[in-house]
Amino acid sequence: MIRLAFASLANRKSSAWLTVLAIAVSALLLIGVERVRTQTQDNFANTISGTDLIVGARTGSTQLLLSSVFHIGALNNSMTWQSYTHIKELPGVAWNIPMALGDSFSGYPVVGTNEDFFRHFKYASDVALEFAAGSVFDADEHAVLGAEVAQRMQLNVGDEFTIAHGSGGISFSDHDAHPFQVTGILQRTGTPVDQAIYIPLAGLGLVHGELIHDDNDDSHDHDHADTEQQPVYTLSAVLLGLDNRALALRMQRQINTYREEPLSAIMPGLALTDLWRTLSLFEKALFTVSILVVATGLLGMLTALLASLRERRREMAVLRSIGAGPFTIFGLLVSEAFMLALAGVSIGVLMLFAVLHFGADWLLLHTGLLLRATPLTITEWSLVGAILVAAILLSFIPAWRAYRNALADGLTIRL
Amino acid sequence: MPGTCIELKQLEFQWPGATQPLLRIPELRISRGERVLLRGASGSGKSTLLSLIAGIHKAKAQQVFVLDHDLGDMSQRQRDKLRANEIGYIFQQFNLLPYLSAYQNVLLAQQFSPARRKRLNEQLPSHKQQAQNLLLQLGLTESDTERPAHQLSVGQQQRVAAARALFGSPALIIADEPTSALDADHRDNFIQILFEACRANNTTLLFVTHDASLAPHFDRALELADINTGSGGRS
Repeated sequence: MIRLAFASLANRKSSAWLTVLAIAVSALLLIGVERVRTQTQDNFANTISGTDLIVGARTGSTQLLLSSVFHIGALNNSMTWQSYTHIKELPGVAWNIPMALGDSFSGYPVVGTNEDFFRHFKYASDVALEFAAGSVFDADEHAVLGAEVAQRMQLNVGDEFTIAHGSGGISFSDHDAHPFQVTGILQRTGTPVDQAIYIPLAGLGLVHGELIHDDNDDSHDHDHADTEQQPVYTLSAVLLGLDNRALALRMQRQINTYREEPLSAIMPGLALTDLWRTLSLFEKALFTVSILVVATGLLGMLTALLASLRERRREMAVLRSIGAGPFTIFGLLVSEAFMLALAGVSIGVLMLFAVLHFGADWLLLHTGLLLRATPLTITEWSLVGAILVAAILLSFIPAWRAYRNALADGLTIRL
Repeated sequence: MPGTCIELKQLEFQWPGATQPLLRIPELRISRGERVLLRGASGSGKSTLLSLIAGIHKAKAQQVFVLDHDLGDMSQRQRDKLRANEIGYIFQQFNLLPYLSAYQNVLLAQQFSPARRKRLNEQLPSHKQQAQNLLLQLGLTESDTERPAHQLSVGQQQRVAAARALFGSPALIIADEPTSALDADHRDNFIQILFEACRANNTTLLFVTHDASLAPHFDRALELADINTGSGGRS
């Protein structure tokens, strides 16, 4: 019977192919959205690891997370150098990474930091940063580039560039006076690190005129008893690693209640979860739309099958005459629908893998989406199954009609 | 007498909602191997009678017997099975699935019929070979048997239909105006071929037509209006 259904479909090639194509595209979309959703969530959770607390001036946790980890948005407030020196000396703090944000180069964020960033920053499951070329900066006017920045701006170790104040692509106050030299390029990580430029705090201070060089040091007035020279007036955020992770909650409270300056400390894991939850509405909307597209594809199949019934009444009568029961006619229609849906879904999945295989680099480059052509997950298999089941259930409608026709028409051929 | 193929006893049939029976046939008996012409005007209940004999529609018990089976006492499934095994049906036209080749259309006859398959298996050649041989006997050429049905002429299509009806040697062939789409030459030729094939297999032939001029070819010619006293007969 499957063979008969196949031959019959082959006879209606163009409408069958269109149906298959519609189902393929809708399956591609549904599974694609699912894949973007889960892999984005994974990538998202992989952006930072090992950091126990992120500290900044008093602000919302999402804002602090977005600006310090994702370099999205700007922080209105910053914390003083004084608070920084206080925090990093707190008992239980194992390491710290100071970050000063706000500048950009061709739209890529410039992060003022120190060597500790390269030593302590971890992503994914405790993976440390590695250099693809060169090494850490060792002078004020040196810079380390994220993999993507280097690739897109075609900068190599030894090249020079200048940075602008403000995070826009084009700025009216270019700091032309301070060219930076590339000393290192990081390995690709698939995180926002790839899209940032790292310079020493002192370098950033020079650009902003906050750091006065040694030769002018006499005129520089220190209000506080700090042995180390202060490279910048303020910091945007500090990443903290603790001796004991269990202390994070206590430390967070301690920082949040710091008297000298209003500060916020957040735990990156929790903040990421919060942020993802706020994004889930968007994610649900996307999923709903793709479900609707699948419904459209299947309704197209339903329409095609129903429309074919009229022209196939004599086919049905012939089948009846050679002894096919009405249930055979019913089964014929169901197996046709199943074949259409199976072909559609298979082609859709193949298309998805083709897109992922050949388009992954392009997607990463242009959208920052890191998608992999990994085998279908259980969820994705169940989506595939759901499409097939839905197709079979829908096919009961034309199958029932054909069954009724077969009973009513019998052996009279109606045209 | 070699036995009865079709027997109607006090047949009364009316469609749901009709006020009086369309068919009321006190008695009709067709022997095995007999070739019978049944003539009737359109609307006389011909098609209904055929669908009752073919088991598409259900008669009341003890009214319609085919090969000694009481069709009124059989389920839909059993009647479908009986039709698949023992009845070959030829339509006026459009007998074939256009997307299958001629011989594949013939092979369809054994698709739902274990009995036909069994009878075919008793002979040596493959089913496909037997289908092609039958088509050659009915006057198609070797290459025609491989062509898709929609490429064949109407006359050729009717021969393929006859071949499908005969394939696997069913006991009864019902032909519902099979020649009405053919011109006179093709018609006589087709009837000759059909007769020979039926004679060779001792197959009963119930041939329905509105064309009385064919009567001389047959063992017996019946006028539906004469045997039917239902509303169809009076119209």
